[in-house]
Amino acid sequence: MSSNLPLSDDDVHAYADGKLSEERRARLAAALERDPALAARVAAIRRQNVELREAFDPWLTEPLPRELIAGAQPPRGRKPPRGRWAMPALASAATLIIGIGLGWMGRGEVLHLAGTPTTFPRQAALTHALYATDPNRPVEIWANEEDRLVRWLSKRLNFPLHAPNLHAMGYDLVGGRLVAGNEKPGALFMYENADKQRISLLVRKDSEHTSETAFRYALEDGVGVFYWIDDACGYALSGRVDKQQLLAIARVVYGELAAADAAAAPKP
Amino acid sequence: MPDSLPHPDLVAALPRLRRYARVLTGDLNRADDLVQDTLARAWEKRRLWQPGSDLRAWLFTIMHNVHVNQFAVRRREQSESSLDADDGPVAGWEIPVRATQSDRVELAEVFAQMGRLPVEQREVLILAAVEELRYEEIARVQCVPIGTVMSRLNRAREKLRRMCEVSPSPLKVIK
Repeated sequence: MSSNLPLSDDDVHAYADGKLSEERRARLAAALERDPALAARVAAIRRQNVELREAFDPWLTEPLPRELIAGAQPPRGRKPPRGRWAMPALASAATLIIGIGLGWMGRGEVLHLAGTPTTFPRQAALTHALYATDPNRPVEIWANEEDRLVRWLSKRLNFPLHAPNLHAMGYDLVGGRLVAGNEKPGALFMYENADKQRISLLVRKDSEHTSETAFRYALEDGVGVFYWIDDACGYALSGRVDKQQLLAIARVVYGELAAADAAAAPKP
Repeated sequence: MPDSLPHPDLVAALPRLRRYARVLTGDLNRADDLVQDTLARAWEKRRLWQPGSDLRAWLFTIMHNVHVNQFAVRRREQSESSLDADDGPVAGWEIPVRATQSDRVELAEVFAQMGRLPVEQREVLILAAVEELRYEEIARVQCVPIGTVMSRLNRAREKLRRMCEVSPSPLKVIK
């Protein structure tokens, strides 16, 4: 698209979708300043995009039927292998795929075993596996808008949330998103360290009668999860991280949240 | 020319394939059948996949074609309304709102109104706004010129906005 062409309707869509080239983006941004109606239109498109994602993303964390997982397997017996060399070649190809794809494999396996009723740690691991590797949009709102993110999620979950600061543990906030829960939505905060290793904290309101628990650990197909319930809220910290390291981070999360709660509590 | 598809990536793409199938068919059971047919077709055509390219977009393209072919067959059998019908409810959006697990009114509204868009407009919206594919990739998936993608996107957004306007949260005026 030549940059000398006048701005078109297509540019408005591309701008709202974040797909416009640098130079035209600047020109359209300038046009928005002059034209409130155009600015409103861009805002409406973006709002619609967010609503569409919120309406259709919950499907992504649904357990998959086993037949579909099986359907993704290479077909067997449909076509006889060409000659006797095919089998060893296939076997080594499979080994190679398993070798290079260990990280990905884990992601697949989480989905693979998702046919059973979902427990909280399994849901956390599944959600982490899905979004931590998402190429386009691991989070809905990025960390540069942390205040807006926390306000938005607090409003959606209907109780005050905090994104704990894990900088001391080497992890910085990437952003967050609203995720599907069993009955109510949950909030996901994602963090990343210098090695691009990601961990995520899932928060959801639990039923009124759940009692508090100590830290519990679950290993869900390669994803470690420390989870606990505090003040009728469930928390789960997930990542492909060594158990002791994850526990250390979970303790910091717990401490940060307790401190935030104490600060927010009304003074007697 | 690969002799195989990256199986882990294929499994990882399943939730998105399934979502796309639901948007195409508007029916939870038919959607899973469409995913199965797409996977079978993908394995048949595995030598056409270029390693390193976006597997997800390639699978969407196959699914689109499988669906168009199946839809054409059904239409001949049942002589249903036009595929490109631009008005009125579209046959076969059978997905209950609770399948979205959402308790928010405006999302339920968006969800329900999506079912009233023609299928090719639903597709463009999901691929552009939710999957965030590049417009060129969407053109490839639907096998149409990019101008057609843009006009479908424009119509879909306008229509969805108008249909959802009756929802209780009016658009705030931006100063």
